Amino acid sequence: MDPSELQALLFSGALIGTVSFALFTPKVSSSLIALFYASVILAVIFTLYGDTLVGLVQMATFAGAISVLTLSVILMTGESRLALGVRKLGGVALVALLLFIAVVFSLMVGGGSASPSSYPDISSQVLVFLWTNRPWDPLILIVAFASAMVTISNLMSREP
Amino acid sequence: MQTDALVLLGTGTLLVFMGIASISLSKNLVKTIMSFQVVLFGANLALFASGLGTVNRLTTDVFVLLSLALGAAVEGVGLAIILAVYRKYGTLDPSKVRRLKG
Repeated sequence: MDPSELQALLFSGALIGTVSFALFTPKVSSSLIALFYASVILAVIFTLYGDTLVGLVQMATFAGAISVLTLSVILMTGESRLALGVRKLGGVALVALLLFIAVVFSLMVGGGSASPSSYPDISSQVLVFLWTNRPWDPLILIVAFASAMVTISNLMSREP
Repeated sequence: MQTDALVLLGTGTLLVFMGIASISLSKNLVKTIMSFQVVLFGANLALFASGLGTVNRLTTDVFVLLSLALGAAVEGVGLAIILAVYRKYGTLDPSKVRRLKG
């Protein structure tokens, strides 16, 4: 089997496993932790297949901002019952260790570079393409983000 | 299309269907938003994989970038609406929120 195919199978299996755990576990807090790992795995996939920029955005928005927002919502609604004991922290550390090993394996397969040789890093080309061919898209995104932020602050600050 | 791109495309499709199934079965609004996040992950992964190894790669990557940003905004608004619903109704069970029911 080609190392690139093995790498795709490895990360796809990890992604499906974490997402299945997130969707079908009854505890919301465990779902949140599993979804955090799914976001990280997806960001690693994007990065390994040659798009560091998309991986970075994925990591910053979903593993960062959305995870914190979801955590704050489940804490405020009392849905969490978040008891991070030693056993659960051990499980989290085990998944982090497995993810680290998978990334190191992929880096070794890629010959020391961050992406396999058949998929060169095209992040700078993506930015140039975005600004030259689709310049209205960032403006639309800024308007959408600003509207979303206004809506979030309005909904969160309203008295019952 | 190369084999690894096909594997990633299949994974993305599977994630989309798993997320849709979980949305329809979920009885908790937070879990519904998490399932929506899974659907978004699957759609982005399938879109990304469809451009791997083709000449349209830049276009698909730009659309993945835009989809990520818009999905994050939508999800933030969804979480804020969930918080507002919880303050008004005191529950996260969608079947008990009946004000909009016809």
